[in-house]
Amino acid sequence: MSKIEEVKSNVEAGKTKLISGLVQEALDEGYAANDILQAMIDGMGTVGDKFSAGTIFVPEMLIAAKAMSLGVDVLKPHLAKETSISLGTCIIGTVQGDLHDIGKNLVTMMLESAGFTMVDLGVDVPAEKFIQAVKENENVKLVACSGLLSTTMPAMQATVEALKESGLSGFKVIVGGAPVTQEFADKIGADAYAPDAGSAAVKARELVNSL
Amino acid sequence: MLTKRQNLMEAIRGGNPDRFVNQYEFLEIILEAPLRTRPKPGEIITNEWGITFNWPKDQLGPFPVHDDEHIVLKDITKWRDVVSAPSVEFSDESWAPAIEHAKAVDRKDKFVTAFFASGTFEMTHMLMGMEAAMMNLYEEPEYMHELIDYLTEYEIRYARQIIDRIQPDAVFHHDDWGGQIASFMSPEMFEEFYLEPYKKAYGFWKDNGVELIVHHSDSYAANLVPYMIDMGIDIWQGVMTTNNTPELIREYGGQISFMGEIDSGVVDCKDWKPEIIADHVENACRRCGKHYFIPCLTQGLNVSSFPGVYEAVSEAIDGMSRKTF
Ligand code: B12
Repeated sequence: MSKIEEVKSNVEAGKTKLISGLVQEALDEGYAANDILQAMIDGMGTVGDKFSAGTIFVPEMLIAAKAMSLGVDVLKPHLAKETSISLGTCIIGTVQGDLHDIGKNLVTMMLESAGFTMVDLGVDVPAEKFIQAVKENENVKLVACSGLLSTTMPAMQATVEALKESGLSGFKVIVGGAPVTQEFADKIGADAYAPDAGSAAVKARELVNSL
Repeated sequence: MLTKRQNLMEAIRGGNPDRFVNQYEFLEIILEAPLRTRPKPGEIITNEWGITFNWPKDQLGPFPVHDDEHIVLKDITKWRDVVSAPSVEFSDESWAPAIEHAKAVDRKDKFVTAFFASGTFEMTHMLMGMEAAMMNLYEEPEYMHELIDYLTEYEIRYARQIIDRIQPDAVFHHDDWGGQIASFMSPEMFEEFYLEPYKKAYGFWKDNGVELIVHHSDSYAANLVPYMIDMGIDIWQGVMTTNNTPELIREYGGQISFMGEIDSGVVDCKDWKPEIIADHVENACRRCGKHYFIPCLTQGLNVSSFPGVYEAVSEAIDGMSRKTF
């Protein structure tokens, strides 16, 4: 196995204690930082697919994301400021009235691993705050809204409507969370829906590429 | 007509129930029993474990506060320094209302039921946050085993007290082990960390006169059912439709029973309608049948978030009983 393949498989396996050393070794062997990053992104893609398929679970995903982020720390000084891999900025938050954040955090990790710069607004986020964040951040390509309570579905609808009516453009809106369905996403005018964090990364990439 | 208790036993033993068991009717849950401080709407409280809960008035329920200032356990390796189980000794006075309630129950008709929450897994994430509670299973498994054992010992100490005071016939025990479409952890990891501790805790309740273990997890957890059986759960309450309950009944009926199949998230909403509820109840009863199944909202108590929903479900179940039996 080449060093770069080793990096990829150790991200997938969530080897948090080994990954920094491996990334350093890959750099020392002369691999380009961007290629190492791409290998890690691919590794997280596999993690996402396995999570969607139900063969791995939340702890495996968390630990892989942590491995990736430790690897990225080693890479950072070697990466050009704007790498070709960047997919733009994504604003994410759990909608107003809702405090659940496990799902949102997993989506954040997967989108970050896929190449988005994430701005996490946290939980209980009113529509105005999403809009303000779109205005205040550069290169916003995606807004992601999470909601776990059936009682906050109206807040999700209001958020999507407010974003669409804000006059701001250049970004797409993706929604998700246990009670959200494709049908509901269509009804409230969101651009996309994904049932889990793995497919969220796949959908998000497609969406942004279609911009 | 069978009493509620007899009817329940017939249903979960595959005998001759004379109607559907109607939601929580067979459990008389003694919520007066002292356990720990719980927040009310609009309150922020810190409970006996040091966990801070916030319940904003306009929200459905409380939430643990896990910012840097409030989180109890930041570093699992130091758990012994910061986690301290509260006392389980309460005065006669604080037990009095529970004892009175238990005395008033006709035990031929209903199970006097102890309530226990939060469960061991939930306690780990209340103390350190969900992400740490799951990542530490990989990163610091030894410390997690220790903490889980410590939490289990606490449950057993509490069980001893409540058994002594009210001699419960059943325990209704919360511990959410999954989300809507997956268990939080893999079955292997669940087995490694939670099977033995739960065997021990549930074994203790059972060895001390508790006949019925009802475990609440309103989630997907079909992949954990073999462990539920192994640890002594009689009824899994909270089973959501995403589990394919009819299949579970076919496979495991007789070893465990399933209570739920009416998803609270779907029917318990502001603009609920009795007709829609009746449809869900009818589907549930038709799909799952008379044995090893109790039609019930998935919510973890005999209440609903929106007034009237729980009662409407009960009425619809009575209707189905008239049609089916
Ligand atoms: C864990 C949990 C909690 C924890 C939350 C910890 C935390 N930090 O988030 C605690 C115990 C604190 C809690 C509190 C409450 N909860 Co709660 N909780 C759950 C539980 C068991 C699991 C949710 C979860 O984390 N799932 C795991 C993650 C990985 O899955 P997920 O969130 O669905 O996310 C995935 C996908 O949906 C998707 N996704 C998520 N967001 C997004 C966003 C985008 C853009 C995309 C594309 C995809 C996407 O990707 C994720 C990863 O694959 C559910 C039960 C259930 N069956 O879901 C109840 C549940 C959601 N809670 C519920 C309730 C009522 C509450 C409370 C109000 C009261 C209570 N029961 O204590 C309070 C909430 C207060 C508030 N205002 O928010 C109800 C909601 C019912 C309803 N009417 O909708 C549920 C359904 C339980 C129930 N049946 O009663 N809860």
